[in-house]
Amino acid sequence: MARRRVDFGHLLVSFILLCAASLPALAQDRGTIIAEICSGDFGAQQSALGQLAAAGMSEDSSDATWARRIVEAFEGRELRCGNGVALITTEDGAVQAASMEPSDVDAETLAPPSVNLRLRATAASAAAILRLFIEEDAANRLSAANYIDRRREAATAPILSAALERENDAEVRAVLSTLRASLLLEDPDPANRIAAVEAIAQDATLRNRTTIAEAMRDESDADVLAAGDAAIASIDRMLQVGKILSTLYSGASYASVLFLAALGLAIIFGLMGVINLAQGELIMVGAYAAWFTQEAIRTALPALLDYYLIIAIPISFMAAALVGLLMEVIVIRRLYDRPLMTLLATWAISLLLINTVRVTIGSQNLEFHQPYYVSGGFPLVGDFIMTSNRLFAIVVAICACVTVVVLLRRSLFGMNIRAVTQNRAMAGAAGIDTRRTDMMAFSLGSGLAGLAGLALSPLYNVNPGMGTGFIVDSFMVVVLGGVGSLIGAALAAIGIGQINVIVEPIYGAVAAKVFVLLLVIVFIQWRPEGLFAPKGRR
Amino acid sequence: MASDTFAERHRLPLLSRIVVATLIALVVAVPLLGGPLAGSAAGLSPYMANIIGQIATFALLALALDLVWGYGGILSLGHGLFFAAGGYLIAMHMLKAGYVFGGVTPDLMTFMGWSELPVHWAFFESFPYALLMIVLVPGLLAFLYGYVSFRSRVSGVYFAIITQALTYVAMLMMFRNDTGFGGNNGMTGFTTLLGQDIGGHAMVVGLASASVLALLVAFIGCSALLRSPFGKLLVAIRDDEARLRFLGYDTLWPKLAAWCLSGILAAIAGALYVPQVGIINPRLLSPELSIEIAVWVALGGRGALSGAVIGAAIISALKFWLTGFVPEAWPFILALVVLVVVTLLPNGLLDLKPQVLWRGRRSGKRGMIE
Repeated sequence: MARRRVDFGHLLVSFILLCAASLPALAQDRGTIIAEICSGDFGAQQSALGQLAAAGMSEDSSDATWARRIVEAFEGRELRCGNGVALITTEDGAVQAASMEPSDVDAETLAPPSVNLRLRATAASAAAILRLFIEEDAANRLSAANYIDRRREAATAPILSAALERENDAEVRAVLSTLRASLLLEDPDPANRIAAVEAIAQDATLRNRTTIAEAMRDESDADVLAAGDAAIASIDRMLQVGKILSTLYSGASYASVLFLAALGLAIIFGLMGVINLAQGELIMVGAYAAWFTQEAIRTALPALLDYYLIIAIPISFMAAALVGLLMEVIVIRRLYDRPLMTLLATWAISLLLINTVRVTIGSQNLEFHQPYYVSGGFPLVGDFIMTSNRLFAIVVAICACVTVVVLLRRSLFGMNIRAVTQNRAMAGAAGIDTRRTDMMAFSLGSGLAGLAGLALSPLYNVNPGMGTGFIVDSFMVVVLGGVGSLIGAALAAIGIGQINVIVEPIYGAVAAKVFVLLLVIVFIQWRPEGLFAPKGRR
Repeated sequence: MASDTFAERHRLPLLSRIVVATLIALVVAVPLLGGPLAGSAAGLSPYMANIIGQIATFALLALALDLVWGYGGILSLGHGLFFAAGGYLIAMHMLKAGYVFGGVTPDLMTFMGWSELPVHWAFFESFPYALLMIVLVPGLLAFLYGYVSFRSRVSGVYFAIITQALTYVAMLMMFRNDTGFGGNNGMTGFTTLLGQDIGGHAMVVGLASASVLALLVAFIGCSALLRSPFGKLLVAIRDDEARLRFLGYDTLWPKLAAWCLSGILAAIAGALYVPQVGIINPRLLSPELSIEIAVWVALGGRGALSGAVIGAAIISALKFWLTGFVPEAWPFILALVVLVVVTLLPNGLLDLKPQVLWRGRRSGKRGMIE
């Protein structure tokens, strides 16, 4: 996935042009570089290696490949010079260094140019830089970038900027940005250092804050120090914003899962006065259905593996809805006039489901393939990364919410549900098959729990006991939101989700649960019917 | 829900008499067969005595729940909270007494690196103080929660789920080490109770006898209470609370009284249970156990104290027996029992008998108690 951020390379363009007075374009003449590297003069050799490293920036990718060959030959003492010719010895005979054409000159008559320790270090650094431009595999580029971090001899800010512009791997980018920032901060001209500080501060990450703070420790110039303080203050502000956003974001993702689970619960409770204690296990059924879909696709259509989460949306829904339908037909419909008994019955069903899965599949956590659209994320402000797996949960919840609203408001089935919820006897008298409506609604509610299971599969551990923790929170959502109210359920889910993530880092997960529970008990004192109870209910 | 057959069943003391007679027999037999006659052919091994004692505490717990569910129509899915409260309090007494008088350092002090026990352990070395706490703390807990719930007329499914949530939260809190109750490991390593060796033969038989006696006293006491005008009021509240309010009754206090009594009985059951098993940890607070209590009552039959006692005895005996050799099958059996009971036997096992006894008197499903 291309990770496009507002690139600090772009912000730096003017600055780079300013400080890179001697922009090291690849010498048009490869021969000149070869001559310099063969000269035996330390200064000329250093400059030649610098130019070779800069060859990576060339539009023509063959330049980089050639430069890498030369640097590696120089390092490996396979480059031989003398009599105005330069050869690279290979297993199949010598080739001309400048053109890579075969040569009939006897390499044994030529001597390798002198290589001292510093030149060797520069050459290694240059080779790593060229690898950065040539390697296709991100892991290799990452190792090259880390190598340059230790051997900076041939690294310059413009080269790294060029590499950054081409780079799309997050980890490599992170290493390169820091590296370039620290190179810029070592510039002898205070004006350049100030410009560097300001440019770095544009990208407010904790990593950049550390880089600036470290540079300021050795800084003596007052103006630069002032610029550094301002930059750190601005980064801190952005980090603060990012932190708040990231808390809200993870709260929103928890809220979406909660909402999906509670929505089904709310519809069923509003319609039949029944609380389904197996709702958590229906979540588990949905997650397991997603896993089975993944395994089926893995064996049958491996090409589509990345899309299993999308394909599993109807499957998870149907699997949980089917289990719900069976529950309704076999058990729940016999108990409509005894809601307390349905608690025991649905609990027994949850026990059956958990233990059946435990016995047949095992109690280990399932392993899920992470397709590209649920891995990684979009860095927005500060250290706040809008992670894709949470985004997926939110998107599924929003889509489900919209679908359910349309279903309830626009379809005949939805009208039946609303009618039966408001007045069962009258709805029956008006010709609505109330038992059938109950059955369908129970399936719908169960299916929504299945969707919750799918949405949380990239986020949480999936195992037979995963659902048990959800029932309490989901029920709190129903109590807070008001029975059978969509808006209420949505708002309550958001509220409880946010409280959980806000309290959790400060006082721990237990305190968050205690807090929510106490809040709900106090709330019931004030509004026993919930936030948005439909008028005229029962 | 109105219950015509209920009143008749209540006046029909056959089952109650059987239960009382069995309990009296046990109160006499357990100390006798477990004590002087332990070695003889009819003798009771300490293991069997211990199991009888444990089942008696479960039956007492079921009785406590039946009082509020069967008679008051208030289902609690959190009676494990009171049971565990009683258990934790007696465990604190035993550890503290062992520490102060016997010089045995409790594990949790070593584990937490404490040189002294926290403030809330003060005075627990005194047995009367511990007893007082076993009544007061769960009673107060029940009062607080009952008051806020009944006052705002939270009932039925709402009430049940919130009790479950409370128990769940209590479990999470007890799992933490810093609350000072032993955290995940709970409390164990009890040495003495009332100066007697906890593992000794006399103590095991004594505790079992005390449990059966407590059950008998609670059974007779609750039966008497339910025959009194208070019991009638409670049943009336269950059947039509709104009507009772219109008639000018304040329904808050009778409900609250029954709820607190139930909580205290459950705590006493817990206090008798923990010395017999020798350990308490937060798993006693898991929602599963609390729901299992409701299953005992539902199986035995709500609305008859004898039903609750019989249900608890049958299921826990079955559990002791089955988990011995097929532990993984137990959840399936329990779940199937529940499903069969709720779908086919609305009043639990009591349905089997009354169908023979009262054939023709039942009208449809009106005999069911919610």
